[in-house]
Amino acid sequence: MTSALLIEDLVKQFATGKPAVDGVSFDVPAGEIVVLLGPSGCGKTTTLRCVAGLEHPTGGRISIGDRVVSEPQRGLLVSPRERDIGMVFQSYAVWPHMTVRQNVAYPLKHRRKNGGGDINTKVNETLELVGLGDYAERPVTSLSGGQMQRVALARSLVYRPQLLLLDEPLSNLDAKLRIRLRDELRRILKQTGMTGLYVTHDQSEAVVLGDRIGVMKDGKLLQMAPPAEIYNRPADSFVANFTGASNILLGKVLARNGDKATIDLGAAGRIEAWTPQPLAVGDKARVALRAENVRLGEKGPANAFSGRVVERRYQGMQTVYDVELGGQRLEALELGTAARHNDGEIPLTLPPDQCWAYRDEGATSVE
Amino acid sequence: MTATSAEALPAARDTTDAPRRWAAPLWVGALLIVLAFLVIYPLLMLVFGALSDSNPIVDGFGSFRPSAKHFLDVLANENVHLAFFNALAACGGGTVLAVVIGLAFSWIVVRTNTPFKGFIAGASMIPLFVPPLVAGVAWGILGSPKTGLLNTMLKWAGIDFRFDFYSMSGLIIVFGIYYAPYVYMFTASALRNMDPSLEEASEVSGASAFTTLFTVTFPLIAPAILAGSLLSFVVMLGIYGVPAALGAPANISVLTTYIFKLTAWSPPLYNTAAAVAILLMVVTAILVWAQQKVLSGKSYATVAGKAFRPRALNLGSWRWFTFGLALVYLFVVVVLPTLALIIAAFRKFLFFKDFNALFDWSQYSWVHFNSVFDNPLTMLSIWNTLKVGVITAVAGGALAFAIGYTVNRTTVSGRRSIDLLATLPVAIPGLVVGVAYLWAWIGLPGGLYGTIWILALAFVARFMPDTVKALSTSFLQIHKELEEAAWICGRGLLGTIRTIVLPLARPGVVASMTLLFVLAIRELGSSLFLYTSDTTVMAVLLLDYYEGGNTGKTAAFSLVQTAILGVLLGLTTWISRETTQNTRFN
Repeated sequence: MTSALLIEDLVKQFATGKPAVDGVSFDVPAGEIVVLLGPSGCGKTTTLRCVAGLEHPTGGRISIGDRVVSEPQRGLLVSPRERDIGMVFQSYAVWPHMTVRQNVAYPLKHRRKNGGGDINTKVNETLELVGLGDYAERPVTSLSGGQMQRVALARSLVYRPQLLLLDEPLSNLDAKLRIRLRDELRRILKQTGMTGLYVTHDQSEAVVLGDRIGVMKDGKLLQMAPPAEIYNRPADSFVANFTGASNILLGKVLARNGDKATIDLGAAGRIEAWTPQPLAVGDKARVALRAENVRLGEKGPANAFSGRVVERRYQGMQTVYDVELGGQRLEALELGTAARHNDGEIPLTLPPDQCWAYRDEGATSVE
Repeated sequence: MTATSAEALPAARDTTDAPRRWAAPLWVGALLIVLAFLVIYPLLMLVFGALSDSNPIVDGFGSFRPSAKHFLDVLANENVHLAFFNALAACGGGTVLAVVIGLAFSWIVVRTNTPFKGFIAGASMIPLFVPPLVAGVAWGILGSPKTGLLNTMLKWAGIDFRFDFYSMSGLIIVFGIYYAPYVYMFTASALRNMDPSLEEASEVSGASAFTTLFTVTFPLIAPAILAGSLLSFVVMLGIYGVPAALGAPANISVLTTYIFKLTAWSPPLYNTAAAVAILLMVVTAILVWAQQKVLSGKSYATVAGKAFRPRALNLGSWRWFTFGLALVYLFVVVVLPTLALIIAAFRKFLFFKDFNALFDWSQYSWVHFNSVFDNPLTMLSIWNTLKVGVITAVAGGALAFAIGYTVNRTTVSGRRSIDLLATLPVAIPGLVVGVAYLWAWIGLPGGLYGTIWILALAFVARFMPDTVKALSTSFLQIHKELEEAAWICGRGLLGTIRTIVLPLARPGVVASMTLLFVLAIRELGSSLFLYTSDTTVMAVLLLDYYEGGNTGKTAAFSLVQTAILGVLLGLTTWISRETTQNTRFN
């Protein structure tokens, strides 16, 4: 299968400062949705805008379909209007001086090649698809935020572009609507078989929408993998932390065997952990794990410890415990409406498969 | 005035204390009286004048016989119709030209990568500071049909074409090029505030840059274009200097010049002037109302939220073309008229027998400057102008502070009426303010007429809306809680104003006073009817020279006036900036 989008060693350097995008490479096969995830300023939006042609890369190559659309080394740059892409903007960018129909029909009227067919039929079909069939003649200013975003989506789908770009399309919506539209967006994209590149800082959006997720930081792509792999095998302590593994235990590598490592946590004892990095015996290491994966009150076959509950915070649907483990702090999360553990000494197990060891390079945390 | 009565304002909520309870209504009453005295009384007298045929000087006010007939007679007069339609034609044509220039410039500056954009943006605002009469005089020197410098040059070049700026088209061109900045201000800020993704969406949809400009960009800023053109139309309608300089030689009267002509007749037709002034005021009021309506309507170009990165279109080598356009505009608006004034001011005679005569240095001298300064009225007018400027700035600034604070920062009842009265003059052209003040004071013996104060009061009233608006903006930037914190600390209202509000609002206050000062020293329209030989101001004296027919003296005094304005403007801007810089709190 050919890639609908291929990015090779993309670099974007603005006039001042560090490069906003620093050597990013990945591809999106036809029909797949790839989500770029990362904190603000990580370069994900700049990457997307380079693909759209709204930003001009300073290095690397971008190909859409079999056509190279940007390669600064050869002075090659195809304008956005000739890239056969659709784009949904964060601010919707629906034109307030037009009706819903005029907005959606606009690309069909102004694009050079349109594949024929009746404009009205196409507009109606697309509006039905996004659930705005009854709103065609309304001025867009009379719509709610969620409806405007559907107009923006319809406008970018109506001409069936090769590639759909979505720039944090849900971030201006309120929380409830965001969840509804997120699920619907997946349905629509899958129904139309669109190839998509989606940018967001919201993990739950990324997991639901993405066939693969790419986590970015400081202009670099740290890991690109299916959601389950990002969540269970984070390649990097930043990825682990960003996707919610907030517990960090510090220690030293005692032994290494394939992708398994044994780490000395000091007073707490030894811990078995999975590691994706070339850790050597004697290296300083940080072990990351999710609060959800701490098994309180259990004595498992491996990584069984004894800790002490210092504080208990009941939150209704779940309970959070602050646990002291040999002088280090650990947060444990217990699902359900009943809090079963009390303050004081408690056995606990940290499943080795869910403990991930990384090289300790000083503080890495996500604000 | 602010002091004693304001002390008790917050106590208006404290119902236990009787004298304090009365303070708020008293304060509001006092402000309303001051505003009524400044705005309502002169307007009533103007209506009174329009509805009667008794001359206030000759007959006094005893023989007042109100009659709508007089007013209707004036409205039915052919000359009034002519002046009315001339005004519509000149301002309408000027507005169209101003929109074309203003829109082109705002696009060039905000949306392209034209080189030296900052310089172009700054320089294109210069026309705003040129007094209209000076512009008119300069273009008269350049484009008069017989002796105009441009025509002299065309003759040398052997081109069989002559400019005639003493005409309707001359009026339209000068209006258009000098009032384009009003359109520019609105459209440039609308373009700047526009979410660039609205245009990007069009581009991604497959539309060309040209299509995007006409189907997305311009329709989106249509409200700003309309608001800017209405404003420039209103400003042109109230201008006296340009039509006086360019229209009068060709016998083209517009409303403003016609009104002044009426009062210059012997005996002066004050009643007719009042009636025509009301006509001018009504037209202005309708347009201002329409403009406010447009501005308050949903401006859909702006989307709140994230700060936009300005989007500049890469014009390639065309950017030197747009840069050239900007240079041509600056040359026409600034360089050419300035050169004309300099040549006219320093040449003994404005006649050239051939091209080389332009460089015949024996023909250049200070003779016109000498004769200008030999006239004792010159120094008097400069001195008077400064005095009026300072009085206006101080009195107007203080009053505007009191009004702005009361309207924006208190909840006293009656503050809406204060706001309304203070905003009213926005719809009254300067010339009409002049006629109204004339009617208000000329019949009162021992009154203000003939003093400097009548000029200052007229200016305070005329520029009240601009000053209050400027000050209100700076009040709105001071969070209410800063004041409330001082109250909690036990400060009274007056103490809070002195220690918290005034220091924080100082840049705003200084800027408003600066604005008032500058506006006052260049104001011609309202001065025309209020000066006497003892209280003449620079703008009026310049008109005197011009009507005296001596081009050299007129040009010389234009330069003197422009130089003085430039120096004062620079000085006040500097003071204003110094104050702002010393008032950074973080």
